[in-house]
Amino acid sequence: MRSLLTITLLASLFISWSLPVVAAEVMVEKSSVETDDFDAAFDDDFNDFDDPPGGKARPLISDPLEGWNRGVFWVNDKFYFYLVKPVARGYRVVPRPVRRSIDNFFSNLATPVRAVNALLQFKIKDTGTELGRLLVNTTVGLAGLFDPAKSQLGWEKKQEDFGQTLGYYGVGSGWYLVLPIFGPSSARDGLGIIGDYFVIDPLNYVDLKRWEYFGIKSFDYVNSLSLDPDSYEGIKRDSLDPYLFIRAAYAQHRLAKINK
Amino acid sequence: MKRIFILLFLFCLFFSTSLWASSGPTLEIKKVVDAVLKVLNQPDLDYAGKRLKVSGMVQKFINIDSISQRTLGVHWKRASPEQQARFSRLFVQVLENTYLNRIEDYSGGTVEYINERVKEDKAIVDTVFVSDKLEVPVQYKMVLQQGVWQIYDVVIENVSLVRNYRSSYGDIVSSEGLEGLFVRLESKLAEPAGSGKKE
Repeated sequence: MRSLLTITLLASLFISWSLPVVAAEVMVEKSSVETDDFDAAFDDDFNDFDDPPGGKARPLISDPLEGWNRGVFWVNDKFYFYLVKPVARGYRVVPRPVRRSIDNFFSNLATPVRAVNALLQFKIKDTGTELGRLLVNTTVGLAGLFDPAKSQLGWEKKQEDFGQTLGYYGVGSGWYLVLPIFGPSSARDGLGIIGDYFVIDPLNYVDLKRWEYFGIKSFDYVNSLSLDPDSYEGIKRDSLDPYLFIRAAYAQHRLAKINK
Repeated sequence: MKRIFILLFLFCLFFSTSLWASSGPTLEIKKVVDAVLKVLNQPDLDYAGKRLKVSGMVQKFINIDSISQRTLGVHWKRASPEQQARFSRLFVQVLENTYLNRIEDYSGGTVEYINERVKEDKAIVDTVFVSDKLEVPVQYKMVLQQGVWQIYDVVIENVSLVRNYRSSYGDIVSSEGLEGLFVRLESKLAEPAGSGKKE
C-alpha cells in the first residue's frame, strides 16, 4: 500500500514537472498575501538576497524554450515594426475620441469573456458589475460606443480571462511561451487564450466567414494599438535585453492578477 | 501647576517640530512628483530643456545603495567592492535615462495619493497617476535612512521595477558574467538620448 502511494506521488511529481500545462502547482504566493500584505510586500525584497540552496535565484517564470521563444519574439518584433505599427500610425489620422469609442465597442462586445471568467472564479460581485456594465453601455452607451457605466456610475471594468480562471483553480503558469502575434504568454495562459477566443468569445457564435472574422479581429487589434503610447518602443529602447525585461514583467503582472 | 503646563507646552512644541523635521514618506514623494510635474507642465520648455531640468532631480530621492543591492540580488555579495560601486554608478545612470526618456510620453496628468503604510523604517505609498488617457497605479516602497525617507522600489501596475531588473540582469550575469553586464550597461549609456522614437 505504501509503495503504491510512493509511486503515485513520484508519478504525480514527474507529471507536474514534465507537463507544465496540467501542473496543478499550489500557489504558495497566494497564502502569503493573505497573512500580511505589508510584510509580504517587503519579504520578497529582503529574503531574495540570501543565496538560495541551488546557488541560483528562483526565476519568476521558467523558460526552457527560450531559444524558440526568442525566435518568435524576433518575428513579432519585425511584424510589429514593419507592418502593424505603420498601419496603426497611419490610422491615427482618425480622431482620438472616435478610436476610443471603437475600442469601447469591442470591449463591450467582449463582456461575456470577462463575466464568464469572473463567475467561474466565484467573483459574484464582479460578474454582476460586468453584466450591469453590458446592460448600461449597450443601451445608454449607444451599443457600447461610450462607457457611461464607468463615467457616470463608477463601475470599473474587471479584467478577467481564462488564464486567470485556471490560475484560480491552482494551475501554475507553466513554461513561458511567446505566441505569434499575441506576444508574451505561458502554457497556462496560452490555453486561456484558446478558451477565451474560441469558446467564450461571442464572435464565434455569429455566422461569419473566416476572412470576416480575421478582419474584425485585426481591426480591433490595430485600433487598440493606435491608442497605446508606444510602450513597446520605450521598453525596447531602454532595456538591455527587451526579451528578458518583458518576460519578467509578464510573469509579475499575471501573478498579481491571479492573486487579486 | 503652572510650571507643569509650561513644561508640557514646551514638550509639545519640541515634539511637533521634531515631527515636522522627519517628514513622512508621502511628503517625500509629493516633493519629487511636484517638482518634476512643475517642469513638465511648463509650456514654453522643449523636450531637451525639460530633460536637462529634471535630470538629477530624481536621484536625490532614491536610495542608490539599496536599489543597486536589491537589483543585483545574489550577485551583489559575490561582487567585489569595486564591482559593486561600478554597478551602482552605471545602474543609476541607466535608471535616470529610462526615466528621462519617459518625459517624451508625458502629455498631462496628475498624481493622486491613495494610501500610506509605515512600519518601523519601511513604508509603502500608494498613488495613482491619472490622465485623460489612462489611470496607472504606482506604488513607492521606501526606507528610512538617516531621518530621510528614500525610494528603493517603484511598483507600476503590480510590476516591481527592481524585481524586473533583478530578473533580467540576473540572467545576463549568469550567462555573461558581471563584466558582461557592465559592457552592456556601458553600451546602453553610449546610445544617444531620446532617440529611436518617432511620433
